[in-house]
Amino acid sequence: MTYAKAVADGIWSAGTARVGYIPSVTVAPIINSLVASDDGANGVSPRVTPLSREEEAIGVMGAVAFTGELGAVVMQDNGFGNALTALTTFTLAYHLPLLVFANTRGGLGEYNSMIHSISQPVPAILRAAGLPVIELDRRSGPEDWQDAVQEAGVHSVMTYRPVVVLGSFWNTDGKVA
Amino acid sequence: MKRIEALEVLVSLTSRHPVVVTCAATSRELASVKDGDNHLYLLDSMGLAGSVATGLALSVGPSVPKVVCVEGDGSLLMNPNVLPTGGYLAPGNLLLVLLDNGVYASTGALPTYSPRIDLEKLAAAAGWATRSADTTSGLRAAFEELLAVPEPAFLHARIEPGNAEGVEKLLIDPVSITGRFALWLREAGNAV
Repeated sequence: MTYAKAVADGIWSAGTARVGYIPSVTVAPIINSLVASDDGANGVSPRVTPLSREEEAIGVMGAVAFTGELGAVVMQDNGFGNALTALTTFTLAYHLPLLVFANTRGGLGEYNSMIHSISQPVPAILRAAGLPVIELDRRSGPEDWQDAVQEAGVHSVMTYRPVVVLGSFWNTDGKVA
Repeated sequence: MKRIEALEVLVSLTSRHPVVVTCAATSRELASVKDGDNHLYLLDSMGLAGSVATGLALSVGPSVPKVVCVEGDGSLLMNPNVLPTGGYLAPGNLLLVLLDNGVYASTGALPTYSPRIDLEKLAAAAGWATRSADTTSGLRAAFEELLAVPEPAFLHARIEPGNAEGVEKLLIDPVSITGRFALWLREAGNAV
């Protein structure tokens, strides 16, 4: 099992009803796996849809919770600046479960000279805003990633709030950037 | 047409519909007309109403009447992605009513782009079925027409600048809004 498939399987096994994503080269294999397992193609399936910006993704997928279901967002961590107001004033304030998986940038394996300026402080920014953050990297295998993503979704539902999983693909079978 | 007059019309038309409403004066004026359990007030999150309504439209069951979003021009311009995303995802059960007064009425009446940018044309270009209105009778007629279209629907309602006098701030705990709105969906037997 690849790390990307592990994330995708973890998202579905958490009971996720619908997934929105903002593309990155790192999350593309996750999206492909989600779409393939949902009878779709070319980045779209009945329950998986592209969205144009992280902020709207929080709004669109956060709204799923009003129907008693779980929504999920797959994105890259440099988009949390766009998403923070929606995450706090909507999903946190309205006690809405939402599973967010984001690949990390700006660390080991990074080629970009400036993306660390947003990506490096993301975990601290999210925690300062009151969001639970689970961090995954090369030190655990795909099975652990799948379990952690699944449990993050379950935890989100149990605690009525968004939960963020950050995954570093460096030294895994995935692509960093 | 004043905003509160438009909202009185919308309240009379939406008692069976989930209604997602933008923040500040629009939310509090809507609540002053009727504080319904079918109302999802976004007390902050300016710009997010259209996105939330889109997600709701994608998620509710087919027996639920169209999801109605009450949005302002300043708020839509803060997140204009609502238009291409709605056009792309194309939920046929979404009706966005834009109350366009050309200003940020809740924040000092500073101007928005809308006097020079045609938001209805933007919506149409993105694939929404559109109508416009500047009277209460026109608003009612356009709303009823758009209930029948299969595409996401956009009703461009021109309203006067200004806020209703004597309307109290909406000081509801957002968690209670979630509880009652979700319960309204569930009790109606409409949620997926």
